[in-house]
Amino acid sequence: MTTPARRRLMRDFKRLQEDPPAGVSGAPSDNNIMLWNAVIFGPHDTPFEDGTFKLTIEFTEEYPNKPPSVRFISKMFHPNVYADGSICLDILQNRWSPTYDVSAILTSIQSLLHDPNPNSPANNEAAQLYRENRREYEKKVAAIVQESWNDDEDDDVEEEEGGKTAS
Amino acid sequence: MSQTDMKRQLSDPASDATDSEDMEEDDEYANYYYDNTDDLDIDKPKKTDDPEYFEYTILQTEDAERLLNEEVERLCSELKMSPSLAKMLLHVGQWQGEDIIERYQQDQRKLLTESNVSCPKEMKEDSLVGSSPGCPVCAECYPRDKFMGLTCGHLFCPHCWDMHFRFQIEQGITMGIECMGQKCKILVPEDFLYSVLKDSKLRDRFSKLCFMDLIKGHPKLRFCPGPNCSVIIHAKEPRAKKVECSVCKSTFCFRCGIEYHAPTDCDVIKKWLTKCADDSETANYISAHTKDCPSCHVCIEKSAGCNHMQCSKCKFDFCWMCLGDWKSHGSEYYECSRYKENPNIANESVLVQAREALKKYLFYFERWENHAKSLQLEEQTLQKITSRINVKVMENEGTWIDWQYLQNAAALLKKCRYTLQYTYPYAYYMDKGGRKQLFEYQQAQLEAEVENLSWKVERAEITHRGDLENQMDIAEKRRQTLLKDFLEV
Ligand SMILES: [Zn+2]
Ligand SMILES: [Zn+2]
Ligand SMILES: [Zn+2]
Ligand SMILES: [Zn+2]
Ligand SMILES: [Zn+2]
Ligand SMILES: [Zn+2]
Repeated sequence: MTTPARRRLMRDFKRLQEDPPAGVSGAPSDNNIMLWNAVIFGPHDTPFEDGTFKLTIEFTEEYPNKPPSVRFISKMFHPNVYADGSICLDILQNRWSPTYDVSAILTSIQSLLHDPNPNSPANNEAAQLYRENRREYEKKVAAIVQESWNDDEDDDVEEEEGGKTAS
Repeated sequence: MSQTDMKRQLSDPASDATDSEDMEEDDEYANYYYDNTDDLDIDKPKKTDDPEYFEYTILQTEDAERLLNEEVERLCSELKMSPSLAKMLLHVGQWQGEDIIERYQQDQRKLLTESNVSCPKEMKEDSLVGSSPGCPVCAECYPRDKFMGLTCGHLFCPHCWDMHFRFQIEQGITMGIECMGQKCKILVPEDFLYSVLKDSKLRDRFSKLCFMDLIKGHPKLRFCPGPNCSVIIHAKEPRAKKVECSVCKSTFCFRCGIEYHAPTDCDVIKKWLTKCADDSETANYISAHTKDCPSCHVCIEKSAGCNHMQCSKCKFDFCWMCLGDWKSHGSEYYECSRYKENPNIANESVLVQAREALKKYLFYFERWENHAKSLQLEEQTLQKITSRINVKVMENEGTWIDWQYLQNAAALLKKCRYTLQYTYPYAYYMDKGGRKQLFEYQQAQLEAEVENLSWKVERAEITHRGDLENQMDIAEKRRQTLLKDFLEV
């Protein structure tokens, strides 16, 4: 059955393939267009560099009037990411616009890795270290970057795909 | 008090009539109260020098709609704009019509931009490309002239606008619906919405929700918070004063909508109620209904509202709150309501300070709770008196007019007790100093007279009518004095 939400998601997928933004990738899961798997590569010149962070994106039939719920599956250490992997980002909550698509969501999260917002902390420890002890913060981030590779070893297709986009 | 005592007293309204002097005196009092029945019967003060005086009217939905429309029309004709835009400006500008007109005439563009109804020129954009562009939301392609948008230039297909409005209305958003553009805060005026939204059910729902939004945003209007009551209170001035709904009879503070709380102000009472709710253990500790007589130590249960207790065994008169001798409570040195702070507290350890803080809170909380309980008991007293008067009147033992003074006394007692209860949160948050001293002095005066009145109301059958009415007068005067000095107007 095709609904406005599904039609829009097909378009999002097409756009993501035709015009892939650097450092992110995503695709609907095999038999459910409402559930996507995505990968964000740690941006250059940030402590997250070289990390490959997996996420899931869950849409409802109210998309794009309502934002999807986005969560990191890979372990994350970031001032605006909660322990369960959900993300504190305005465009995923009160500043959502129906014009955002999957590509825009992923690049927004990518830039959040670049510029954390320590004023609305979702992870107090990360926010405090980011403000007061940048070296310790970078050490902790380095640890989860390493862990993100371990995730990939017992994975297959996505890693290869990701590798291509990153290079 | 025994029922038979009460009956005897009630069944003999003319007992004083045998004494002509007494009768004269009684008539004097009766006349005095006839002149002021409004002040006693309904809690709505009428006199302008009354600190609780508050002018308001009760509106039905249609009346309130008419009132809003009049304000919208005034702005329309003054500024030559559409009703839809005027409504939006009034809602965003908290219905300060004069202020809006002035700002509009000074700098039209600035006001419209600040109110999020119009976009500054430099931010306008048109993201559509080609002669048959795709909608930024659904990606369907349409001819250019099919697209619609607001002053910001964000254009979308009618279908996507419709979906957007549906979704927002389902979330209960009406006056706050924004454009769909990224980071765009431009508000959607209702004429634009109605030009898109064709579903009549949804249009209806929008108009109903919108009305509620407008009322909630209007400083001089408030929905009655009473259960299943749909009337709207229209106040002359938006103040923290007492409203009694003539439809459902609930009373509340106009500004914050919770129970009336003079002399304490809206923010302070919220703080106090939260504090009390957080501390349920304290409440349990306090709620004990029994105490030992300070003289003979027999266990005494409190069953009436009055805090002037008399031990049933040794007849010792004492105060329920502080267990002190009642004799000292009648004097100028009444100190039961005043918390005595440790003068050396600043030099004490953190632990001692914490204990002192708790002690202080408990002192005020205990009195707050105690007056609340007394109030409940006095409500029962009022009901008992009312039903007994009913019986008397039915049995032709005097008329309502003969007995009404008893009911008035019980009603006035409740009113005074209520204010007294709400003086405690006020005092708790007050800074030390001369003003607090004055407040506590007046609070103590009021408390003493309320307890005297309570004592007399409970013993109505053995209290002389003139004596009772005199006590009513004194208690109400104390209440008025305190409110005049401390109720922020
Ligand atoms: Zn569209
Ligand atoms: Zn816009
Ligand atoms: Zn009501
Ligand atoms: Zn209030
Ligand atoms: Zn005793
Ligand atoms: Zn006392």
